[in-house]
Amino acid sequence: MKINPAFAEKLLTRFIKEELSKFHFTKGILGLSGGLDSTVCTHLAIRALGPKNVIVLIMPYKNTYGRDVQDATDIAHRLKLKSHVIDISPMVDAYYTKHPTDNRILKGNKMARERMSILYDFSEREKALILGTSNKTELLLGYGTIHGDMACALNPLGDLYKTQIRQLARHLKIPEKILKKKPTAGLWTGQTDEGELGLSYAKIDKILYQLADLRKSKKEVISEGFPKQDVEKIIGLIKGSEFKRHLPSIPKISARTVGHDFLYPYDRDR
Amino acid sequence: MKIALAQISPKLGDIDQNFRMHIDYIQKAKKKNVDLLIFPELSLTGYTLKDMVEEIALDPHTDPLFKKLKGLSREISFVVGFVEEKEKGLLVNSAAFFSQGKISHIHRKIYLPTYGMFEELKFFGQGKNFHTFPTPFGKAGMLICYDFLHISSSYLLFVGGSELIIAISAAPGRGFSDDEGYASARMWELMGEAVSRFFQSFVIYCNRVGFEDGKSFAGGSFIYNPGGQLVAKSPYVDEDFLVKNIDLEEIRRFRKYRPYRRDEKPEVTLEAFKRIVAKYED
Repeated sequence: MKINPAFAEKLLTRFIKEELSKFHFTKGILGLSGGLDSTVCTHLAIRALGPKNVIVLIMPYKNTYGRDVQDATDIAHRLKLKSHVIDISPMVDAYYTKHPTDNRILKGNKMARERMSILYDFSEREKALILGTSNKTELLLGYGTIHGDMACALNPLGDLYKTQIRQLARHLKIPEKILKKKPTAGLWTGQTDEGELGLSYAKIDKILYQLADLRKSKKEVISEGFPKQDVEKIIGLIKGSEFKRHLPSIPKISARTVGHDFLYPYDRDR
Repeated sequence: MKIALAQISPKLGDIDQNFRMHIDYIQKAKKKNVDLLIFPELSLTGYTLKDMVEEIALDPHTDPLFKKLKGLSREISFVVGFVEEKEKGLLVNSAAFFSQGKISHIHRKIYLPTYGMFEELKFFGQGKNFHTFPTPFGKAGMLICYDFLHISSSYLLFVGGSELIIAISAAPGRGFSDDEGYASARMWELMGEAVSRFFQSFVIYCNRVGFEDGKSFAGGSFIYNPGGQLVAKSPYVDEDFLVKNIDLEEIRRFRKYRPYRRDEKPEVTLEAFKRIVAKYED
């Protein structure tokens, strides 16, 4: 579980730089929530591209973010980044006045997709490629909105567990204030990831590491002393979210089919 | 004898549900006095397993489900496809022939397609031998899917004295055709016809149906007699339970008429192979 943060920093900065240059972009853009992942990603992007080439969008819904908006603005200011604060309340509310709901998950997903839609719009306006901020924990659990916060052009933190990002954040000297925050997807006021998942990231990551990285079976992980109900819950989340980690199925009819046997690298001709 | 082909759509990765489906088909076949029931490739597990292969592998000699299947085979013979843990960590794509309360033979797939849409070598080890083995219906040999598309596989079974060549398959359809079904169906049927006719064995091909990750398994299971004549065929793409009487006497009849089996010279082939292979260079 322990990473070498200096090496991770070197590798991820190099990745961001190389990836953008392959696509002939010089600028990167990302949504900055004031939370840990987007702050770490912003720092990496600055190291890779320079502060002039990093644009951040701060996209609060009403006062959901509250303190976070201030933190995000402070980060952008301190790091001398071009930033835009875009309140997504009018767009989201316009929709929900016509199609009301009390379902917080629905609303959260809508907000995530609203932010995605704005990011893609700004990506084109600013000619900047979108950096995703999903981490390995979220990707494995499916704890993210498909076509929402999961949508991006490259995903630098996708192979680091939340707790590993914390290690990287310390190395990057991210302010203690950000490190101490309770992780939240900002789905509603007071929402925390750990509260919603019912387990701490420390526990989740340890179990995920056993299952995914060490390829241990459910039985083995439980016999290591991890609570059965936690292991089962996590396996359930992994299994239930497979669709979020794939492109949609295409039924094969022809002799050569996109996604089946029309196979070229992502980096083709880059 | 009476043969049945279960052209089914197994549930991917759900061995318990698939096992129950197998039991249902076995009961159904027993009611119809079927002697030999064939399930398709990886019938107990589904095909596109990827990393699930390691979770779903079983040891046929100790697995409790296999113990039950052995018991059921006292009254009816059947062929089942599954992932076998042959040694610790060595996983193979296998077919087991159950008969008379035991497993008569296990064939481990030798030709693992790894091109285009296929990636079997990423997940499976390879088998090493083609065997014929005695059954209550005569000498049989088993092939799994891409094995059957290598003519040498059937040739070896022919030389080994096969009377029934059983090919189980999870073959996705590919390509448009003027006829019904996929263009790729012709490939399987052509091989079925040629092998049955020139290797003078019944060819029993059982393919599966259903979608997995967009791959559409093409169905179109068939039986050819030892004279290369189509005896029965299942529809393309749809589930089917095909039951057909075949006349084992036809093996003798066709071999009398054209004695390919009698006149075959495997020793000539063997010597030629030795010469050719010795000269192989890369």
